[in-house]
Amino acid sequence: MSAEEGATDLTVAPSAWRQLAGSLRDHLRHPGLAVGTGLLGVLFVVALIAPWIAPYPPLKTNMSNTLAPISGAHWLGTDQFGRDVLSRILLGTQVSLQVAFAVVALSLTAGTLIGAIAGFAGGWIERITLVIIDILLAFPGFLFALALVAARGSSLESVIIAVAIAFTPRVAAVMRSVVLTIKPRPFIESSRAIGMSEWRVLWRHVIPNALPPVIVVATVSAATAILAEAGLSFLGLGVQPPTPTWGNIIADGNALITTNPWISLSAGFCIAIAVIAFNLLGDGLRDTLDPQMKRQTGRGLL
Amino acid sequence: MTTSTTAPVLSIRGLTTTFPGPRGEIVIVDDVSLDVGRGETLAVVGESGSGKTMTFHSALGLVPSPGRVVAGQVLLDGADLLRLSPRELRQRRGAEIAIVFQDPLTALNPVFTIGDQIGEVLRAHTRLSRAASRRRAIETLERVHIPDPHRRVDDFPHQFSGGMRQRALIAMAIALEPKILVADEPTTALDVTVQAQVLELLAGLKRETGMGLVLITHDLGVVARHANRVAVMYAGRVMEQGTAERVFENPRHPYTLSLFRSIPHLDTPAGIDLTPIEGVPPNPALLPPGCAFEPRCFLAGGRDVCSARRPALTPSDVPEHLSRCWHWTELAADRSPS
Repeated sequence: MSAEEGATDLTVAPSAWRQLAGSLRDHLRHPGLAVGTGLLGVLFVVALIAPWIAPYPPLKTNMSNTLAPISGAHWLGTDQFGRDVLSRILLGTQVSLQVAFAVVALSLTAGTLIGAIAGFAGGWIERITLVIIDILLAFPGFLFALALVAARGSSLESVIIAVAIAFTPRVAAVMRSVVLTIKPRPFIESSRAIGMSEWRVLWRHVIPNALPPVIVVATVSAATAILAEAGLSFLGLGVQPPTPTWGNIIADGNALITTNPWISLSAGFCIAIAVIAFNLLGDGLRDTLDPQMKRQTGRGLL
Repeated sequence: MTTSTTAPVLSIRGLTTTFPGPRGEIVIVDDVSLDVGRGETLAVVGESGSGKTMTFHSALGLVPSPGRVVAGQVLLDGADLLRLSPRELRQRRGAEIAIVFQDPLTALNPVFTIGDQIGEVLRAHTRLSRAASRRRAIETLERVHIPDPHRRVDDFPHQFSGGMRQRALIAMAIALEPKILVADEPTTALDVTVQAQVLELLAGLKRETGMGLVLITHDLGVVARHANRVAVMYAGRVMEQGTAERVFENPRHPYTLSLFRSIPHLDTPAGIDLTPIEGVPPNPALLPPGCAFEPRCFLAGGRDVCSARRPALTPSDVPEHLSRCWHWTELAADRSPS
């Protein structure tokens, strides 16, 4: 039987697409998920087009117009160097979302692999991995990231790597425990009985079944990653000025909080929005990915 | 058995599997020898926990840790499966010897389509492309009488009924036309009409492909209708083995006879009590030194030989009818009154 002969059968039946679309619709009916996805969508678009919609170049100082109040020309005023705060906040969205997505991608990949292998292999591999995970979890995540950034020098990559390493053990711990519940299921045994290798069983059967709870953890950790980046930048250990990030905008406005509170408050507001969006998304995914848990977090939001 | 007309395809010799227990090794499969020929159906019967399933899991190297196979040979076309490297064994599992598992509701992976899971068997063993294996999956679904296989191949397991899932599992098992198919209680989870369909399907596939079929079951009705030969297991040992006809007509082990007596028959008058087997299946860690069935046996009656010495599986009145009982001749003498 040649591959060409069978080629016509490869096309997925149209009903499969309709099913997929239908399930997407079902998922978006969940209020928390819909609001979270919507907010993140807006943030994402803002991050993409920030350089074009920013009313002023975010790095351009104007010493003749420092600490301008809120006005039609500067919607959120200017900071102590005369830079437009709104433009800086719009550009700051880029850094925050970059950090969030990169951290999730890295910690999800590494954590999933480490946790899955540990849980599936069992024995001494599992024990050693667990000890390492427990040691890493015992550090407060932020302190851990702080130490790593201090060692590597502050830059966007350092922040991403540091926060990703801090979150990987969380993902791995969840992954391992989920894998333990999947390992004894009969279809794992039947995959072995049809002659599949251990790697293939792990990759094809264990990991896909274990992913939903891990995706939820990863989404929620995206929110924490945004906070961690802002915290590090606020302390001057994150992305270095003059590149605007929400964290260093807060730091810039910190000294002026009594006279020009808008500088810090607007950046803080953005952080809150992003964190809430990721948390809603995480809660929504948790509810919709588990068919036995049809709770609807955030119904009151709509 | 040496009298089969053709050489057996699968020949299990003296298979012994143990699990570590608090007081030494517990023998779960005890010196089991079985043969399955081409196109033959061997029924393995016994109560729950008698070692039926574990025997074949041992044969395929699927014993869960910490159990291990300590002795014996499993010859599949002359090659000893127990001596193969894990890789070579894996290549034979699914391709030459396949298992259909007990519970069709959980033996399928919920996150993949039926077609994916059948195709997976093919791609684990052959170099078929995705498209070609999908085509084969549809053909195989057709062979197990799934209606509208072109459409159902993209269904997920939860969209299948219990009987259809069992047939999908059978499709996975026969996709590569194995020489031996082990069906582990293939009908336990199904209702009676679906049971008949599934057994009919297995019998038909056996006729078409000439594969040997091992039917692990505790349903003696199934055995009577479908098996060529029967092995009765108790406490990890084969107690009696022979052609289905002979074992049903002239049981030569008191355990087999007790099993028959405990089943209701349509032709027995209403109101007559069934004869249950007194007691419970033995704890494999605490087997008596003699015959494993001795504490529950109506023939033993406190005789020393039964409790002290372990009987061997020896020929009874015909050479291919084996019994593991000291006193089988007494069963031959008085034809059972059941």
